[in-house]
Amino acid sequence: MNASPKLAVPLESIEICLEGIVPAAICSCSREGIPNVTFLSIVHRLDENHVALSFQFFNKTRANILENPRAQVLLISPETSEQYRLDLQYLRTETEGLSFDRMKTRLDAVASQSGMSNVFKLRGVDIFEVLDSRPVSSEFRAEAAHKADYLPELDSFTERLSTCCDLDSLLSVALEALSSLFRCPHSFVMFPDEEGKRLYTGASHGFEPSGVGSEVPIGKGMLGVAAERRAAVRTTSMTREMPLARAVRSAIERRGEQATLEREIALPGLPNAQSQLILPLLVGDKLQGVLCLQDQAAGRFLATDERVLQIAARHLTVAISNMRVAILPSRKVTLRHKAGPSKRSSMVKHYKSDDSIFIDDAYLIKGMPGRLFWKLLQAFVGTGRTAFTNKEIRLDAGLQLPDIKDNLETRLILLRRRLDERCEFVRLVHAGRGQLHLVVHRKLTLEELA
Amino acid sequence: MKRAKSSVSITAELKDFLESGVSVVVGTCDPSCVPEAVRAWGPRVGRDGRSVSLCVALATSGRALSNLRANGRVAVTFCLPTNYKTIQLKGRFLGTARPNGQDLAAVERHRDSFTASATRVGVDRRFMEGAWQEELVESAVMLKIHFVTEQVFDQTPGPDAGARL
Repeated sequence: MNASPKLAVPLESIEICLEGIVPAAICSCSREGIPNVTFLSIVHRLDENHVALSFQFFNKTRANILENPRAQVLLISPETSEQYRLDLQYLRTETEGLSFDRMKTRLDAVASQSGMSNVFKLRGVDIFEVLDSRPVSSEFRAEAAHKADYLPELDSFTERLSTCCDLDSLLSVALEALSSLFRCPHSFVMFPDEEGKRLYTGASHGFEPSGVGSEVPIGKGMLGVAAERRAAVRTTSMTREMPLARAVRSAIERRGEQATLEREIALPGLPNAQSQLILPLLVGDKLQGVLCLQDQAAGRFLATDERVLQIAARHLTVAISNMRVAILPSRKVTLRHKAGPSKRSSMVKHYKSDDSIFIDDAYLIKGMPGRLFWKLLQAFVGTGRTAFTNKEIRLDAGLQLPDIKDNLETRLILLRRRLDERCEFVRLVHAGRGQLHLVVHRKLTLEELA
Repeated sequence: MKRAKSSVSITAELKDFLESGVSVVVGTCDPSCVPEAVRAWGPRVGRDGRSVSLCVALATSGRALSNLRANGRVAVTFCLPTNYKTIQLKGRFLGTARPNGQDLAAVERHRDSFTASATRVGVDRRFMEGAWQEELVESAVMLKIHFVTEQVFDQTPGPDAGARL
């Protein structure tokens, strides 16, 4: 793009105004001099002098800018209440490329979350040059752009991750570090299942209950769309974006076109999350998982935060990936067997149809980790065996593990965390160098059901 | 007061909406078709049911006012933050005046109702109060804009946005 003069109010310094936390208005004008005003969701900053506006429907604003390229956006800061005017000159419309793809992913994520993937589609992205940016009143009050320095935090983050010896502690340390270093107290990591069809929560921080084990289909909802597209999805104002989507949904329903709508999917995590940043964890194009950060405050994750947290997430991805292939030095694990089984007993049921496990009629887990847990319990009850190795589990034909070695470790973490949360008398202890110990403090009776 | 021949009447239901807790932005353009927008407060539908008045801060509306005087065309969009119902009125500028007691009372009522609807979608109350105080930092003077409605559009987001009512 051409070098353009420096703007009076740099776009970077008013980044928070562009996010639509308080919707911006755009004023365009026909060739005959008839103005038109509509409200916008997001103004996408492309660089120092260019912005992009997405459009899903052809409307008067588009008709106007195609015949008269001048437009003005009226912005308001959700932090300071200051208002700014951006004078724009329409340059071109893009229907593919980087800007288009980024906006499409964000829009599709909201559309999927609100069950409107079939109707809420990005048609194109209009690119504008910003000719002027200024406060609405005459006195210049814009603050200089603050360039945050995140190097010390990134340094600490990578250092803390490098001290971890196993995947379980890596996830705990990483999520705790995101909270203490980057002020992200609510986070969770999801992993793809063996079939690559669903994501399941493997670790979380700052949620009560933890949500570990909860699932979303890949391709559905914000998390599922981010995973499917291998693209970050950032939302800054859920209470604004969801009503906007619902307004469109209502319009579709009024037209009698409900058949094109899907079920609205409940968002996992904080019930009142305003801001959300979803970062796919990728090695090449291979999806290792998804990191999701949530916050109750609107505008918590801006473009700058996304860049910084993306660096942290990439480092976490590499660490997860290394952890899955490396043979790490064994830890000295002291197992507390002293207590032994108590006189109390519990009934464990296994339903073969979906491999779900119920302990005293309370649901624990299903699917592959359920099958795996059942195998361990059968060995324990039958022979009293408590020590197992990852290798024998992988090679056990009876478990019918899919040929995805990476997943065993994350499934074991999920099983371990579910036991920690839901069952006080069975523990699966990581004993280093691919070894597991089953610790049971109660007599167990097993029952297999269809 | 001159009245445009093509003026349209505003229904009681529409009047209630225009005078509720909506976000109001006035669009104008200069003779070279360069647009200028400004936030407005206290919209009131006139007794004739066809004209509308609203107030703008003088400090934020200099260019918009000279555009209205030069070209006379005005577009005003009203959006309710809680459900995104949006209406746009297009019409002709009739004139400006100093706001009277009723106009200023309408401004107060509008600020209260807009704050109430904005806080329902997560906007901080202090922010809303700051929003209009900020407009009046340079000058506490407000000016009333008066226009007659010629067209009404449903601008609610969706495939039917822009439909004429």
